[in-house]
Amino acid sequence: MNNKILRLSLFNLKKNRREVLGIIFMTLVTVLMLSVVLINQKKIDTAFDESYERSGCVRQTVLFKVDKYRNAFADILLKDYGIEKVSEGRLIYSNMVDVLGKDGDTVAYNLMFATEKSERKMEAFHKLEQLPEEEIAGVEHPIWLPEGFRITKGYVAGDDFLILKNGKEYPFTIVGFFEAGLMTNDGYFYKVILSDEDYALFAMLFDSSKDYECVGLFFDGEEIDFDRYLEDCNEVASENLSFTTYFNCYRWEKMNETNFLEIFMMMIIGISAVTLIASLFMIRHKISGDIEDQMQQIGVLEALGYRSAEISLSYLYEYVIAGGLGSVLGAVIACLITPFVNTGISVMLGRSVAGGSGMGGAVIAVAAVLFLVAVFALLKARRVKKYPPVVALRKGIRTHHFGKNILPLDKMHWNINLGLAMKGFFGNLKASAGILICIITAGTAIMFGALTYDFSSNGPYGFAAMMGTDWEVLMVYTLSDTDIDAFRQELLTLPEVRKAIKGFHGEHVSVKGSSDSAEVISFGDYADSENVHPYEGRLPQYDNEVMIGLRRSREENIKVGDSIVLEYNGLEKKYIVSGIVGTIQNGGTVVYLTNDGYKRLNIFAAENVVQIYPAEGVSISKLQAAIDAHFGGTAKQAAEGGLSGQSRDERIRAAAEEKIAAMLNQYGVTDVDYAVQIGDELITGNSRNFVIKECFSYEGIIKTQMVPIAETTKNFCFYALILVSGIVAVLITIITSNDVRRQRHALGIMKGLGYSSKDLMMQLALKYMPVILAGTAIATVCGLWINDLFWGLLFAAFSKVNVSTVVITDILMLIFCFAVAYLSAGRIRKISVTELMTE
Amino acid sequence: MASSILKTEKLCKSFSNGGALQHVIKNLDLEIIEGDFTVIMGASGSGKSTLLYALSGMDKPSMGKIRFGEKEIQDYSNDELAVFRRGNCGFVFQSVYLLDNQTVLDNVLTGALIVQKNSPELVKKAKDLLTKVGIAEGLWKKYPNQLSGGEAQRVGIVRAIINDPKILFADEPTGQLNSASGKDVLDIFTEVHKNGQSIVLVTHDLKTALRGTRVLYLRDGGVVGDHRMPVFGEDDEKDRRASLTAFLEEMGW
Repeated sequence: MNNKILRLSLFNLKKNRREVLGIIFMTLVTVLMLSVVLINQKKIDTAFDESYERSGCVRQTVLFKVDKYRNAFADILLKDYGIEKVSEGRLIYSNMVDVLGKDGDTVAYNLMFATEKSERKMEAFHKLEQLPEEEIAGVEHPIWLPEGFRITKGYVAGDDFLILKNGKEYPFTIVGFFEAGLMTNDGYFYKVILSDEDYALFAMLFDSSKDYECVGLFFDGEEIDFDRYLEDCNEVASENLSFTTYFNCYRWEKMNETNFLEIFMMMIIGISAVTLIASLFMIRHKISGDIEDQMQQIGVLEALGYRSAEISLSYLYEYVIAGGLGSVLGAVIACLITPFVNTGISVMLGRSVAGGSGMGGAVIAVAAVLFLVAVFALLKARRVKKYPPVVALRKGIRTHHFGKNILPLDKMHWNINLGLAMKGFFGNLKASAGILICIITAGTAIMFGALTYDFSSNGPYGFAAMMGTDWEVLMVYTLSDTDIDAFRQELLTLPEVRKAIKGFHGEHVSVKGSSDSAEVISFGDYADSENVHPYEGRLPQYDNEVMIGLRRSREENIKVGDSIVLEYNGLEKKYIVSGIVGTIQNGGTVVYLTNDGYKRLNIFAAENVVQIYPAEGVSISKLQAAIDAHFGGTAKQAAEGGLSGQSRDERIRAAAEEKIAAMLNQYGVTDVDYAVQIGDELITGNSRNFVIKECFSYEGIIKTQMVPIAETTKNFCFYALILVSGIVAVLITIITSNDVRRQRHALGIMKGLGYSSKDLMMQLALKYMPVILAGTAIATVCGLWINDLFWGLLFAAFSKVNVSTVVITDILMLIFCFAVAYLSAGRIRKISVTELMTE
Repeated sequence: MASSILKTEKLCKSFSNGGALQHVIKNLDLEIIEGDFTVIMGASGSGKSTLLYALSGMDKPSMGKIRFGEKEIQDYSNDELAVFRRGNCGFVFQSVYLLDNQTVLDNVLTGALIVQKNSPELVKKAKDLLTKVGIAEGLWKKYPNQLSGGEAQRVGIVRAIINDPKILFADEPTGQLNSASGKDVLDIFTEVHKNGQSIVLVTHDLKTALRGTRVLYLRDGGVVGDHRMPVFGEDDEKDRRASLTAFLEEMGW
């Protein structure tokens, strides 16, 4: 008897090839995605852990600015934090170092320079690919890079590595790569190893608010409470060290490196869930249709003595066979693509990834999907039980209509095709529920994917928009005796300058009651800001108003209208929270004040920075060049020997100015006069030639960090959109085909009445439009909500939603669904009226 | 002289049967005259229904021409044939083929609204016709499975004539009805015909054939006999029956 049932299943499989292929495709995609996640989720974890283990790196580091460091800081760790051993080494912390990339473009990195001696105190300096030792010995300026540069940036041993700093070039040769534990990611720092001589040179040259030498404490043991430790150090030093002290540990590094991958895994799970939901509802829908379609056959089988449970089994077999085939194929593909996934993970992690195909994960995915398919199929197939032979032979009571006549034609004045479509829709609302769920699920994925695609297709600009501060600007630190207003006015005369506003930069304050200190972002008038958009409330207008980041708002439960107390050098002031802004700046801990608001707290402060906005079409580097040409360069450039003259006088002046600049830049000297006598000639000058202390821009580092993320996200979203659209197409095709088959008789009659295939295709496509419209509308809301939730939870920031993207996506979704429904209803063309008559 | 409404020239219709070509209609030249009630008879497999489908544009001929008034329809696409049918033909099926999920009135209007816009006049016309064929108002909102076979067929006739087709085709319209219901249905056909409707009807039933004004006898895909009769009711029924029986006997029926 079971053979007969199985044969019935096989017959159905053969008969409904298109639908079966759809189910195979959807289960294949579901299992493929799920298997990729299950196989590789653990691999991300283990790849990081194994690499970390090989590096021999300590678990924690604290970096103090060299002139702030006290030996007691290490003792505190030993005495009060249960740390058994603390090693000490020197590193140079350098923000936004420009490096000439392999393609000739400048790339900015946050680098941490160390000597091999310091490196060995921190980790084992586990060397990977390298030049032969005798070759290394002959290299004038060797540099060792962490493995990530080889994997993600494509460098090989022997390549040049040209560091650009304040107009000067520092050429290095990559002698090899090493496996790093800490400080090896785009989001934080890359630690690179220099020779002792080069390190000494950099230690002298790199000395500003953005780069300076540090003392690093390296230790293992349980993760310390860094805030408490910092307080202990502050007490010993009798000063606030929080702005120049950096903590890093295994947990943070892992989070930093794996965060993005985890997001991708979440997205893959999301797509897998969409496919699974669509598959399951499609199976329910199709079984329901099959039962109605095969009602008489069911009646005959029951009359022959088959039990309803046995007949139900035929449906179960059908879908388990189709689902099983798709699942196994998905699992096999997932195993086969493991090497490619390994490469992908390796590139995104910046560490070597190895590992087998993890059949276990694939088996779990197959089992889970098959189980759900079987349960869904069986639950629906049990409907057969409702039809005893007589009822089934009469084609089931359900084909009899005694209900209310919805949308009677005599009262309807629409186009007949639309009218009949709506009648069909309202006449079978229950069947629409499943389709609605599928459309909402897939539509949400499409809307979120489209928003993310749009967001990431702007390259770094989408992500940078979440900075919550203006970043495509040149920040110019002025020397303390510079008349900043006059300087600003002079800047505005340059054609390369669109706008110049004065303010503060890089200042830190404490927030009372919070363990997170805050960097201050300030504007004289926030109307001048171009990338600060409050999520809630408004921008600060008065000196007692503050705007805070979303993360701080959430974590510290601070709302618009609340007050917070800020503290600077012992002075505390209360501020009213005027707004909340989504920002990824400093992890969302920044506070926004007006310039006057900051001066309330730091009463001796005078604006020290001019934020320069380039004119349309002017790049930051062009702007920098124009400013250098106009003002004669910065004190920092001069101090590093970046300026030089041609004639004797010019060379003398350049040498003198270099000395002055070094005094201004590095030793806090405010005013210098000089006179050089050569024979009868007296060459004089003073420090008033210098107005600019130093320039920098976030643009480079933002591009370096954001471009790869944006590119990867964009590509992922593109393929995900195609995949989900494919799923929607398969879903609609199957539903439509099923509908055509079920309504074959009625469609034949309609053809006999003079309805053309196009009329009937239009009716069928229109019939789904209410549910597609409703699904799309709900999906839009869900997509926007998920978009907000996603960026909010992930970065405590919000991606700027482009309304036109939402509208275009909705329109495209509707057109796409309609077109697929219309085209897949093309089977109607094959229905012959005469065939119907001769049945 | 009455004009021709439908004309075929060397009409052929063949079917592929397991690779072998089966010629059902062979080089048929036929002319249907406007206002006639043409009955097509013949033994089973003689090609009656096939001819009806070809004439009505439900199916395409394999070869030959079908001229409907001034138009030749043999090369029309399926959709062009659908448009042609909706404007010119009404069709009454043996199995009625009402739409299960639509009420009586909606079934009639579904046939009408593809041709004309909805209007109170159209709805009134549908209701009048239903009343005329004996479908009382109480049945208008019923579904097909709540009707008797005769009632359903009468609804089918109303659906076929609601658009005032130039020609009404019927395929064994009383084939599935008891004799009382069959007679009611035939009375409707007769009345419709008397109002000037051209009808082409396929049957193997003598009582049905008696209603016609012209009986064509088909054998092996060709017309082998053409018998004319006065309009039903205008002559003596016995004589009519005798002459038709004689014709059919001659044809070997």
